[in-house]
Amino acid sequence: MRISVIKYILVIAVALMSTSCHKVEEFADDPRGNFEALWTILDEHYCFFEEKGVDWDAVHDRYARRVSDEMTREELFNVCSEMLAELRDGHTNLSSPFNTSYYRQWWSDYPQNYNERLIQQYYFNFNYLSTGGCDYGLLNENVGYIRYGSFSYTPGDGNIDNILYYLRGAQALIFDVRDNGGGNMTNVEKWVSRFIGQPILAGYISHKTGPGHNDFSEPFPYNYNPAQLGRIRWGKPVIVLTNRSTFSAANNFVSVMKLIPGVTIVGATTGGGSGMPFNSELPNGWSIRFSACSVLDADGHTTENGVEPTEGCAVDMNPQAALNGHDTILDFAINLVQSGTLDR
Amino acid sequence: MNRILMYLAMSLVAIGNNLRADDNVETLRPVTAAYTVELGSSHLTDTYLSPIKYDGWHAAFNYERRQAMRFDPEHWTMRLEARVGVDCGDNIARNATMWNLDVSFRWGMMRRWKVADGLTLAAGGSTGINGGCLYNARNGNNPVSAKAAWTVNLTGYAAYNMRLWRLPVTLCYQPTLPVTGAFFSPDYGELYYEIYLGNHSGLAHCAWWGNYFRLDNQLTADIHFGATSLRVGYRCDILSTKANEITTNVITHSAVIGVSGEWMSYNPSKGLSDKARIISALF
Repeated sequence: MRISVIKYILVIAVALMSTSCHKVEEFADDPRGNFEALWTILDEHYCFFEEKGVDWDAVHDRYARRVSDEMTREELFNVCSEMLAELRDGHTNLSSPFNTSYYRQWWSDYPQNYNERLIQQYYFNFNYLSTGGCDYGLLNENVGYIRYGSFSYTPGDGNIDNILYYLRGAQALIFDVRDNGGGNMTNVEKWVSRFIGQPILAGYISHKTGPGHNDFSEPFPYNYNPAQLGRIRWGKPVIVLTNRSTFSAANNFVSVMKLIPGVTIVGATTGGGSGMPFNSELPNGWSIRFSACSVLDADGHTTENGVEPTEGCAVDMNPQAALNGHDTILDFAINLVQSGTLDR
Repeated sequence: MNRILMYLAMSLVAIGNNLRADDNVETLRPVTAAYTVELGSSHLTDTYLSPIKYDGWHAAFNYERRQAMRFDPEHWTMRLEARVGVDCGDNIARNATMWNLDVSFRWGMMRRWKVADGLTLAAGGSTGINGGCLYNARNGNNPVSAKAAWTVNLTGYAAYNMRLWRLPVTLCYQPTLPVTGAFFSPDYGELYYEIYLGNHSGLAHCAWWGNYFRLDNQLTADIHFGATSLRVGYRCDILSTKANEITTNVITHSAVIGVSGEWMSYNPSKGLSDKARIISALF
């Protein structure tokens, strides 16, 4: 009897010891350790290796040989930044106390296609209204105009009601999200809900289920619902203005708006940034942000490379016309409204 | 199987006999209650937030209540615990802070044996819930790692009465070890936004020692000053979970200080029988 009790106790003790604290891989706080920590975090969590055709192991081999224990923190930062640039991802940044790395080519290789001052001055003579992160007003052609600069601004429901009520007499609405670098996805839903009359499939989300490059969940469909009763909804034509700096949540907004009948996308292909970012950190305290969770459009396709304008509505700003006070993208949208070809 | 059934039947008969015995002899079951605070160190890791270990301080407030059970007070006792704990740690580089909030509630019942003069051992089970979160302010879309669990635990205590100079002291060691239950964890790279949108699959996990290990050890000394006691002690609480490739380790070591006392309900108008027995919650 005693022997069997002792046996049980021993089994329990061994089980306890073998299952106590789960181990977490640790890296040294030196140049090699920090480099390996950065590479491993991306290796296990980054979500676009496949789409972008990046051989991350080969990237490791190329950059690891440039790391030495004698290098300065600035030198290490530069090597790490160059390695991250291989991902060609505007959502991937390394932040240190002295610098933050950015991959800028996703917008710097394209025309800017937006000049805020030009619209404020030549289209509104600086007489426009502002609330809830939006500048808005009525253009001379009886077209409503809303400039929403960032999805980080959360307008209240009352703000949106007031804006739409003010513009109620307009024949159409231009919603300008050029240079909108994104923000909160809940604000995307908030705005889209004002332009739909019934629930719509907005897209899918697929997250990583493990450290393997192909460990992804089944895409989860998500819907947006119309704004609740009592809130003002916009039923007339809508034109969304985009440029390459329309990024992240703004990119998602455009991909959802494009699904709605009566909505036209005018301007340039958006900047992408459809991977929702996660944050992590290195032993030396540097912070790393990276795309971790892929948001797909309603067709199940990635929008990481951007959302194209509606067919026949790809327009660039003419720099010469801009000097004369004309935003050719905005003009194109106004002409589209006046042509009477938009219906809803 | 037959043996187990026979044992259960005998236990029920024994409990019934004790209940009948209670009808004849008045039994008073004083409540031992303790209010304590903990202060100490914490070590926090949650790979959903960061792979780096955070070290810092730990503080908690505890309420504990013990009482002999009504059905067989000589042998069975219960313990109820409620606890609110807060941890705060910095990373190695000291440029980021992680907070941990943990609220827990446990109730358990134990069989006790008086193995020697002044020494009582007890073993039994408990069940409890706990919830909270770890929070790392500098993370954008993943600042919080929510925690929730319901567990079934092995628990027990060893209590020993002694004297320190002239003061009576009760030493008590009580471990609690969850063996099964259920707990919450998001998927490896899943944002809470996706959960908010309605994807609730794979969030609940059946707990066992391989994925949910917690060992709560508390060693206390109640130094009795009349009806009230000063409780001092040490607590080591280890929580280590691994689900969906997310590892969480929360380890705290803390000094415990507080007051404890024994009290019981007594109706003076009814009087107290000479045969009344007072059965302590601990011994």
